[in-house]
Amino acid sequence: MKLHSLILIFWAALAGVAGAADQQPHEEGIEAKDYVWNQMYAEKLQALKAKGEPARGEIAFEVCQGCHRAGAVGRVNGTYPRLAGQHATVLIKQMTDVRAGRRDNPKMYPFADKHVLEPEEIADVATYLEKLPSPPTNGRGDGEQLASGKKLYDRDCAECHGKTGMGDSAKFYPRVAGQHYAYLLRESRAIRNTERRNAYPEMVKVIKPYSDADLAAVADYMSRFETR
Amino acid sequence: MRQAGHSKSRVPALLVSALALAASAAVAAEPKEIAATVCLPCHGEAGNSVLPTFPKLAGQQKDYLLKQLQEFASGKRKNEIMAPIISTVDKGDFAGLAAYFSAQPQSPGTVEDALVVEAGKKLYEDGNTDTGVPACVGCHQPNAMGNERFPRLAGQHQTYTRQQMANFKAGARTNDKGKIMRAVAERMSEQEMKAVSEYIAGLK
Repeated sequence: MKLHSLILIFWAALAGVAGAADQQPHEEGIEAKDYVWNQMYAEKLQALKAKGEPARGEIAFEVCQGCHRAGAVGRVNGTYPRLAGQHATVLIKQMTDVRAGRRDNPKMYPFADKHVLEPEEIADVATYLEKLPSPPTNGRGDGEQLASGKKLYDRDCAECHGKTGMGDSAKFYPRVAGQHYAYLLRESRAIRNTERRNAYPEMVKVIKPYSDADLAAVADYMSRFETR
Repeated sequence: MRQAGHSKSRVPALLVSALALAASAAVAAEPKEIAATVCLPCHGEAGNSVLPTFPKLAGQQKDYLLKQLQEFASGKRKNEIMAPIISTVDKGDFAGLAAYFSAQPQSPGTVEDALVVEAGKKLYEDGNTDTGVPACVGCHQPNAMGNERFPRLAGQHQTYTRQQMANFKAGARTNDKGKIMRAVAERMSEQEMKAVSEYIAGLK
């Protein structure tokens, strides 16, 4: 018996035991030869085209705030990112990538899948979150490598994420200002290691030579951008 | 309904509405009366059950109560005890019953194991980030009072709360919104269920 069929059986058995919640599907991502970053598929297009209603988004977000907290400020320890103030385009990309199985997140999946949110509601939530304030309460690093963090950031990151970390809504580049240090570090490591499967290949290339210390320095620098 | 204006058509229209009102009053029983006869043996006086396996209905969110009544009736929520009883209640009485129970003051809940309350409070407010249990407060609101979309949990018998969480985990209860409670309960340990149920029971 081939290994992948064994793995399938194992997962089926596990799903049988776990029973209730749906498992996240798996779509090819950055590991595939013909990977296209931010590929547009039906649901993503639908959500991007929809005119989000923040008032409906606030209601739909109730389910999310058990983890992302009231006001979507996230957790200082980085377990759950801050969503407040993030570009709606970025949020839509990430939510639809998780739903499609292009970004692995089995923890989040059952709370964001089709049973919970209609594609239009993805737009509602994203529009609601984009307008939320992002207070300067986010987690920071130890502050010891800020000079080298700045040097790397200005050289490699600022072009897309912006001098002040505000990203670019039209290009789907996330805002990093106000994000928790621990989350920035975790995700940049995952991107460097090609474990985040919906990542931008250009970024992977740029940070491939980064050491863990480099990533920590940049994450610390980013976590100190002005945020409100 | 047609715009009033013609004196000739106005009188019959009024008469028709008066008759309709009288007819509906004759069919619909008083919610209080149904509560005191059909519901009382299990759910107690004015929805304050004293038996810990039967939920208190007093003070529960109206929308939640209505949804449960409808889903016991349709079979979406399965329960051997409720199924035959709900079939004796007219569906037209559900909304009135839900409103009645919702408006009753809830009797205070009792904490049986005070040692676990602190852990329960932490889980309720912070969840468990290691296992991905979301904080209950996100949906059930501060102080577990619920809202138009999620039930009140405050003051409920811990036996009942635990039983429901176990049912969600086992897939025996499947009428949760978006399968959310099943996903949550699946990640919870028995100790967590016990602790959070105790904490909830003590909330007012």
